[in-house]
Amino acid sequence: MNYSSIARQYFELAPQVGVLEGSGTYRGVAGSRALGTWVQFDVRVQQASAVVLEARFLAYGCPYVIAVAAWIAERAPGLKAGEGLPESVVALQQRFGVPVEKFGRLLTIEDAWNRAIKMWHGSMRSRP
Amino acid sequence: MRPVYLDYAATTPVAAPVLTAMVDCLGIDGVFGNPGSACHEYGDCARSRVERARAQVAAAVGAEADEIVWTSGATEANNLALFGVADYYLKRGKHIVTSRTEHKAVLDPCAELVRRGWRVTYLVPGAGGIVEPDQVAAALTPETVLVSIMHVNNEIGVVQDVAGIAQVCARQGAWLHVDAAQSMGKVGLDFARFGVDLMSFSAHKVYGPKGVGALCVSRRAGVQLAAQIFGGGQERALRAGTLASHQVVGMGAAFELAQTLWVTELPRIAYLQQRLSRGLMALGGVLRNGDSQNSVPHLLNLSFEGVEGESLLAAVVPQIAVSAGSACMSANPEASYVLRTLGRDEQLAESSLRFSLGRFTTEADIDVAVSVVTQAVLHLRRIGGVGILGA
Repeated sequence: MNYSSIARQYFELAPQVGVLEGSGTYRGVAGSRALGTWVQFDVRVQQASAVVLEARFLAYGCPYVIAVAAWIAERAPGLKAGEGLPESVVALQQRFGVPVEKFGRLLTIEDAWNRAIKMWHGSMRSRP
Repeated sequence: MRPVYLDYAATTPVAAPVLTAMVDCLGIDGVFGNPGSACHEYGDCARSRVERARAQVAAAVGAEADEIVWTSGATEANNLALFGVADYYLKRGKHIVTSRTEHKAVLDPCAELVRRGWRVTYLVPGAGGIVEPDQVAAALTPETVLVSIMHVNNEIGVVQDVAGIAQVCARQGAWLHVDAAQSMGKVGLDFARFGVDLMSFSAHKVYGPKGVGALCVSRRAGVQLAAQIFGGGQERALRAGTLASHQVVGMGAAFELAQTLWVTELPRIAYLQQRLSRGLMALGGVLRNGDSQNSVPHLLNLSFEGVEGESLLAAVVPQIAVSAGSACMSANPEASYVLRTLGRDEQLAESSLRFSLGRFTTEADIDVAVSVVTQAVLHLRRIGGVGILGA
């Protein structure tokens, strides 16, 4: 198994692993452990500016899944909520050298991120 | 520093005395002749070495020297046994019995025989991986020509009761082939006493060279084979081609050495396996695959709950060389078919590691393995949110 150096680095260190709790945090989950890939993002968003303050992830999957999820969580602070991932999944595939047969796993990661952001959107809409 | 080697079931390093014996058959000053060249001293000397090796292998496995047919390895021996019997006894019937946990070197030839019109019954072992003689008996029909059951399973290490299965086959008039590639040096072998008709061996699992093996063909039973390779009539016309004398001599030396050492090696390996098993079981959520009461101590196959298989392997292989499933299948991302047959779900089958211990494994190696795997599993469980509320 030859993983790219960035994939191995983020797989081994897994920065930002964990969960966020409390007000202003939103969770998105995608995939299934039974199917081999499961990802959860927790994001904390500053309500006034709609900027992501911090993010944490949990992941069950191959080293690429863990590495990419960790990288996204690390890069998330400062992102405008609603602008999607820090990079497109195609760019992430290239950055990490993800084999084409595993590309679908990046979409699961994107789904989890988008669902977390959607939760934030939903909370904004429900405000009086 | 190189990773700790715990993949002896995949292959073994060539033992020093074996290497010496092999090198002596290669150079201009050595015994380099063609063992088929009977008309001069070079050929005579080479043939003498080959026959000595044949006697060494025969003695180690409880067979007669003239029952040994050299092959390029256990895979070719399995192919010769299955296709050789199938072709020779074609008119007797077209039914073979085997098990779903056999090595691909048996399953793939069976699949080819199915394409050629044969019927194959695949027995499903119990949860521990054992095929009972009664299961074999129930599967036999008057059309059954051959039963092929492995001795020591290459993934989980369980040892089949081949003597019991041989009795069943003999009563029904079916030949029994046993793939014993993993047996030599790990468990007592007695081809004659087992009552087996055909038995496959490999050198490189026993500190011998790659590229050589043997098929033991019972003279007592009178089993006949149709040759699969033609072109010179070597090996009683069963397997043509100039013998790789240095390989053959290496296999002889390796088997003789293994026969000498295995009794003293066994308790040491058993102790190391217990140490490894105890150390890893302490993690919790660790399941042993295969019947521990009927296994060789050299293999330990464990499934780890809450971790994904590829990540587990990726986390440990920089420091320890182990296999996930069988080495022959490592390019295949599918879960081990052996573990799936034993009833493990896909996640547990994928998150399994096979540790195989050998002659050069030390207590320090085991302690490294316990530490590396423990850290990897805890790390991956943490990343996966195991035990975290809401994950």
